[in-house]
Amino acid sequence: MTTRADAGSRLLRLLAVLTWLARQGRATVTELSERFGLDADELIADLELAACCGLPPYSPDQLMEIIVDDQEVVADLGTELGRPRRLTAAEGFALAASARAILAVPGADADGALGRALAKLEAVLGGRGLLRVDLRDPANLALIRDAADGGKQLELQYYSASSDRESTRVVDPVSVRLIEGHWYLDGYCHNATGMRRFRVDRVAAARLTGEPACHRGDEAEREPDASQSEAFVPGPEATVAHLAVDDDAVWITEALLNSSSEPRADGRTGVTLAVASTVWFGRLLLRLGPHAEVLDPPELAETGRQAARQLLTRYRSNATS
Amino acid sequence: MVDRLERLTDLVLVLLRDQRPKSLREIASEVPGYPTQEGEARRQAFERDKRTLRDGGIEVTAMPIDGPEQVGYVIRPEDYYLPDLDLAPDEQAALNLAVAAVHLGDPSGRDALWRLGLPASAGARPVAELPALPALPVLHGALRARATVSFDYRGERRRVDPAQLRFHGGWWYLVGHDLDRGAPRTFRVDRMEGDVAAATPGSVVLPDGFDPDAALPDVPWRIGEGALVTVVVHVDAALAALVLDEVGQSALAARHEDGSVVLHLEVTNIAALRSWLFELGDHAEVVGPEEVRADVVSWLEAVAGSS
Repeated sequence: MTTRADAGSRLLRLLAVLTWLARQGRATVTELSERFGLDADELIADLELAACCGLPPYSPDQLMEIIVDDQEVVADLGTELGRPRRLTAAEGFALAASARAILAVPGADADGALGRALAKLEAVLGGRGLLRVDLRDPANLALIRDAADGGKQLELQYYSASSDRESTRVVDPVSVRLIEGHWYLDGYCHNATGMRRFRVDRVAAARLTGEPACHRGDEAEREPDASQSEAFVPGPEATVAHLAVDDDAVWITEALLNSSSEPRADGRTGVTLAVASTVWFGRLLLRLGPHAEVLDPPELAETGRQAARQLLTRYRSNATS
Repeated sequence: MVDRLERLTDLVLVLLRDQRPKSLREIASEVPGYPTQEGEARRQAFERDKRTLRDGGIEVTAMPIDGPEQVGYVIRPEDYYLPDLDLAPDEQAALNLAVAAVHLGDPSGRDALWRLGLPASAGARPVAELPALPALPVLHGALRARATVSFDYRGERRRVDPAQLRFHGGWWYLVGHDLDRGAPRTFRVDRMEGDVAAATPGSVVLPDGFDPDAALPDVPWRIGEGALVTVVVHVDAALAALVLDEVGQSALAARHEDGSVVLHLEVTNIAALRSWLFELGDHAEVVGPEEVRADVVSWLEAVAGSS
């Protein structure tokens, strides 16, 4: 049995189940536990308890009519509980933000069913146009999304920031997702013979090969190979680096998915992150500049100095004065 | 011993059903599970239940009543029930898919679907992950109620009339009119420190012609209040196409035979430009003006020389 939630969240959950039951009349225990994501034992226990609730004097005719057996729940709850409850601030926000985000996906139909649903929702919640979601629209996004939806194989010209090289890759697309403001393609890369994650805005050119995608991403191969995804997910080949950053560089703790941070005695912030590519890490250190210090390992501290010297060489050779 | 869940459920039914404010004595006699003795323990148990309900979005309203206790409690239908959304089946399905496809980092969207009596779609593929922040529902609520908000930001208390909540470039922003500065301002929601407080509903007065859509530029180096500088940047052939796709063709000043490009970028935030530039490694170089170039060089010297 799972840990019991506190009485407040159990109440909200129970009211949600009762609202649904009031309209349906009956449902199987399996259906209810799947629909509401609840353990069947917990669900039965809460419903049996609800069957003892009602109005004074709590005679049988004043109790909620809920009959629970091992397989099925039958309920006659009247109209009060059948009407949905008001949304909390968090729920109203989540609904409106989700709908706005999907409508912001390039190519979405603003006048379609979702647009109409959002308009009705905003009419009830109040606040038309108070929420706006901007999603980037890199040049090859539409083609790549269509290919992923249609199971079509792609050929990509891809610039990898971790190797600082452009290469041609044949990829069976599995999914296209927006994470932390960037679009990513997860797919099976035939050149690397494994799952890889690609940033869509680094795809310089894309075309369909005319072949169907043969790898559709079984559960086993769904996760992209971490060592190839630019410190995105720490893999076996990644090195763990420790930095100390001052207030002007604390943004990296928010900007990097895969970092953890803790306050330090000297007032700076300690940041731990996985580094899969020294090219990527060198550029990160350039961005942080004098506001970050690599504590460990020492060979990675050299990465930033080297990246700075290399770029300075370019500036000095092109000096205008 | 009556289970607390049972007491809470009975309390909701009793306060909702009759639509008549009831004194605590009446409530305790109708809802099993409160201390039988009148006094502090009973009052505390009831206050605790009220808080639990309020945390779950169920507001218990106190009203003056006749009789020795003078205060009665009721759950008003308009505080409890959702007005009918009247969604057509295809609209319900679309809303379901949207909630399933967008990950906001907490289960609020799914909970909302429960409320609406809509089944959650399990099979939908995730399309987007947006960061969830505790301040977002508070700010959204304040926007809907037209309530002035205040919060700590960069160590300063700010009072803002909110106009829009906006997800842009991976971050949530509040766009509004800063009351102390008397000017439009944009704030990163994740940088607000501590709790956001909302004033009385209806307190917002936005200046005429305030346009929240104009507040956030597409590129990070325009998010800032510095003086406008046109910075000339040279980008190698290797990244020219990708960078042009990002900054837009209007920034293109020249295209060289080797495939490299020269861009003219309108910049008000040099630090943001520098950060963007260094992500391109040694594929990009500031050509001018001289003071921006010097700024980049001295930054690089600081990194190269630090030991």
